[in-house]
Amino acid sequence: MTTLYDMQNEFVTMLLEESNTEVMIAWTREVLKKGTTPLDFFDEVFTPGMAEIGNKFSRLDIFLPELMDAAEKAKAISDQVLAPLLVENTASNGLNRGKVIIASVKGDLHDIGKNMVSLMLQVNGFEVIDMGVNVPPRDIIDKAREQEVDIVGLSSLMTTSMPYMKEVVELREGFGLKNKFSIIVGGAPITKEYSDAIGADAFGNDAIEAVQKCLLLLDRPVVS
Amino acid sequence: MKHRSRLVEVLHRAETGPIMEEADFERKLVAPTLKNLLKKYDIKYNKSVFVPSDDDLTDRVFQAGLDLAVEVGMFCQSTSRRIVWTRSELEEGLRFCPQEVTLGAGNDAVVARTRRPDDDRRVIVAGGAYGTPVPEYMYIPMSLSYLKEPVIELIDNPSLETVYGYPIKAGSPWEVLSARREAELAIQAANIAGRPGISLGCVELSPTALGGLAGASWGGYRPTDWHHAPILSELKTNYDMLSIVTHVTRIGGVLEAYYNPIYGGFVGGAEGVAVAIAGGLILLNQTHMGDTLNTRPNHPFYNCDTTPELIWAISLGIQALSRNTNLILDTLVGPAGGPGTKTMLYENASFVIATTVSGQSIMTSCHSASGGATPRHASGLDSKICGEVTHAVRGMSRGQANELVKQIVPLYINELDKKPIGKPFNEVYDIEKIEPSAEWQGMYDEVRNDLIKMGLPLDRLKY
Repeated sequence: MTTLYDMQNEFVTMLLEESNTEVMIAWTREVLKKGTTPLDFFDEVFTPGMAEIGNKFSRLDIFLPELMDAAEKAKAISDQVLAPLLVENTASNGLNRGKVIIASVKGDLHDIGKNMVSLMLQVNGFEVIDMGVNVPPRDIIDKAREQEVDIVGLSSLMTTSMPYMKEVVELREGFGLKNKFSIIVGGAPITKEYSDAIGADAFGNDAIEAVQKCLLLLDRPVVS
Repeated sequence: MKHRSRLVEVLHRAETGPIMEEADFERKLVAPTLKNLLKKYDIKYNKSVFVPSDDDLTDRVFQAGLDLAVEVGMFCQSTSRRIVWTRSELEEGLRFCPQEVTLGAGNDAVVARTRRPDDDRRVIVAGGAYGTPVPEYMYIPMSLSYLKEPVIELIDNPSLETVYGYPIKAGSPWEVLSARREAELAIQAANIAGRPGISLGCVELSPTALGGLAGASWGGYRPTDWHHAPILSELKTNYDMLSIVTHVTRIGGVLEAYYNPIYGGFVGGAEGVAVAIAGGLILLNQTHMGDTLNTRPNHPFYNCDTTPELIWAISLGIQALSRNTNLILDTLVGPAGGPGTKTMLYENASFVIATTVSGQSIMTSCHSASGGATPRHASGLDSKICGEVTHAVRGMSRGQANELVKQIVPLYINELDKKPIGKPFNEVYDIEKIEPSAEWQGMYDEVRNDLIKMGLPLDRLKY
């Protein structure tokens, strides 16, 4: 008999090796048809499976293209199979852990670090809106307001872009939005001290810590 | 600058090349093309080797790099177009690249020349804090800690944390002001050291074209300095960087172009990094038209380029180009360790051994303490070790170098994930006398002696 643990391993293998998303969707439907409840699948197969994908990337057993492919396939399964069923089952605690916008702030055109954080958030159940690079502070504030996000993630690889992080925090205060969303900052030159000094709510040292900090900001259990 | 006669053609192609989304360029073009090329040329990472000496593998990496350059080109973010070249255009660009370049002026001038693997010709040593942010009061003392080391022949300075006490904002008048201030301080430091003509890497503070152009205008950095025009990972340029290329071309300046692939990113693992270096530097020669071409790949979690995989990849990528072209190549060491740690000294030594025997013309150092990301964590001794090792390994074979690196890597490998950033400059140097502390100097001497015992002739008197 296939255990949920076996199923989780199969799920991870398929995420990494199956190039056809439709095959994965069919496999998920088949598993559910055989009696696994959507909630059990989500809690015991999908979520730990995605955490394992994240762990593999953090050990560099897999690389960014594989991580992106896996995240895309998981999203398709979530959107097309799990979400509709879980909505029907009100016992669900929901697939979406929170809504985040993420951006490299003005003056910074680097995007790989930001992309890694974005993907790690997605594989951990966050809805992520990626605003791209070189984004002016006012645009970030407007988007956060319009999308009613829970968290704004700001990335900077350059000291000369760091002042724009401070501007985002100041604009949030100035427009009275402090209780609307949290701000997390990160990037090579960013430190906890700098984050505290500008009044950000959290600092993520790398993509893995960023996910943990976002979960803490929303008061959710941290995935190991 | 005969090789920069295609400047107008580069700018034209940035506006007429195939249109593409930036995200698709990396994910749907760079990543799969690289994957296919690794398979086509049978290029695989060998964990047991640090410095490869398989010439057939090296030549396959070169061919794969050339294929990558032809098939992918470079992406221009400002126009959402690829700047593409035919194979024969790229080959002609390589055929007419500079084979030697003079950096600096007067008695301080040095000449960098093309090299081959296992070459015994002299390598130029560049040293400095490479953009590590420092407070204004620390700028000159830190720069002097490098300038006072005679083994360092080119300087690449720190950047400023603030200008006249105010934060520096990219793309604003603050960037212009800080670039001007940086040039003023860098030239002042060179004058104080008695090396007024030494070539200075510049402009550190130029996140956009504003700093690059302002710092290299009248009264600022000079044409004989070493003007930097990077591309972004992976294989992306933009109008800011092309504006710097254009400006430096028109002032007759010496241009250093660089590309830093990300290990574990769109280029994949070690073998992907090696091919990306080969292809990326061929494209840099063609599009940014650097006199010198640099690479400094990065580990995404340790922020360094001294892991075994990256040492293998950089050595192989550089060999591919030095065996098959006349490009003037240089690599920048970015250790995880920082000043006041033996970890950094060992990381630097193994990196320099591997890259020098691979055929680089200039050894550049260093991005201390988490790859240059830790403010104030840099010091003259960080580069001095690189300079000494560079000269000691001239003429050494790749096989011998491999054996040495094999001995050194275990001395630091387990420290890389512990963020061994060491101490800030003012805790490892007397910032008035510009002398290393007894503790830091003692550590340096111990490591130097260890390396001599391993067979590295650092005590040889004649360089």
